[in-house]
Amino acid sequence: MKILVYGCIIAALIAVHTTVLSYVSVWDVKPDVGLVAVCFIGLLAGEFEGLIVGLILGWGMSLFSAADLAASMVAKGAVGFLAGLAGRQMAQVTPVVLVSGLVVASALSNGITLWSLKPNEQQDLWWALRTVVVPQACFDAVVGGLCYWLIWSRLNLDRLAEGQEF
Amino acid sequence: MRMANFRSSYGARRLALGVFLAVLLGFFLLPQQLQTLFQEIGGPIGWVLSWPIRLVSSVQGGVGDTWHRYVALQEVEDENRQLRKELELLQGQNSQLREAASATERLTALLEFKAQASPAMVAAQVIGRDTGNWYRTILLNKGSADGIQPDMGVVTSAGVVGRVVKTTMATAVVLLVSDPNNAIAGLIQRTRDEGIVEGTTPGLARLKYIPLLSNVRTGDRVVTSGLVGGFPRGLAIGTITTISKEEGALFQSAELRPEVDVNRVEEVLVIQSPYVPGEDGKSDGPLPKAKP
Repeated sequence: MKILVYGCIIAALIAVHTTVLSYVSVWDVKPDVGLVAVCFIGLLAGEFEGLIVGLILGWGMSLFSAADLAASMVAKGAVGFLAGLAGRQMAQVTPVVLVSGLVVASALSNGITLWSLKPNEQQDLWWALRTVVVPQACFDAVVGGLCYWLIWSRLNLDRLAEGQEF
Repeated sequence: MRMANFRSSYGARRLALGVFLAVLLGFFLLPQQLQTLFQEIGGPIGWVLSWPIRLVSSVQGGVGDTWHRYVALQEVEDENRQLRKELELLQGQNSQLREAASATERLTALLEFKAQASPAMVAAQVIGRDTGNWYRTILLNKGSADGIQPDMGVVTSAGVVGRVVKTTMATAVVLLVSDPNNAIAGLIQRTRDEGIVEGTTPGLARLKYIPLLSNVRTGDRVVTSGLVGGFPRGLAIGTITTISKEEGALFQSAELRPEVDVNRVEEVLVIQSPYVPGEDGKSDGPLPKAKP
């Protein structure tokens, strides 16, 4: 059942990334909703599930992009794994911690992609930081913060999750 | 506030670390083999994943159509008037071009040129854009099952769009002409100087390696040279807007405005073979230059 749910989440995220997200881009930068989802899965379900979902999502997204397959898989997988480790070390996830964590995760993910890019005279480090890495990290943090607010403040899933656990 | 996860056992953590290290090590030691393996497996997976993309794309297309046809009609009258004027102008130009075409036909026959066959093409629809922010690509609804392969050229009736870089069974990723990682062999139509067209970071294109002695001007049209890549000769790439000559440089370069608005393209043609095979089964090359 869980595999089916994760499969549906991955398929939906890829569909959203390729179609709808270009309409919400700011300065030609769109948020990485997949990265935000992998962070949440890592935080809530642990490092193993975060890693596996991250690896598969990275692979799936690279099939519909010119991006390098290895960098895409490793970046998303690393984010899911680290989110799981971070979730284990923290007693409570506050909005500030989550938003800061997403900024770091997004920067790490884009850093891996940047490292894998072949050098190009136009696309130097400063260009990458200015036009992709920093704006996307901010964008991802905002989207993650909104998701947090929506899930735990509005839908009150916290109580539901606790009810399931006990 | 939300309690963080405590569900994963110590064993799961070790397993996760092991899997991650194995993947990392695999990509370091066998990068090409693993890439090929995942790309092969990705063919059918891509076919499955292409269905939700098609679904969302068709819903998005329907909403967009409704909006443009029934809601956003404020500037249609002005646009209509402008288009009528352009139509009249183009009708005049069309009759002149017909004359020129018939003259060319006669001269071609006179010079006994080999007739250039139409390239084999397959039509495809754009169903999406790149999943990331690093590349400018579009996603097509046709893939390797329809005979599309990497490095094939992609065009519209207006000109060059880009080239295919990746395929699954049901989709193809096209790197746009405006992407800095793309390179297409180009030719200045008036001066016949050749160069390489590559994208720029603001989303335009530029022609590099123009000889210093070339008398290239702004407004000159750049077309495909047909020497390398999946394009036949003579497809429009763009119009030169600015020329830059750096002191001490061996070449000059020129900024181009691409002929195709790649942000709005909806249907494209993929060139499966730039030249139709000749009688002996071999591909015909580009048209030979006229002998003096």
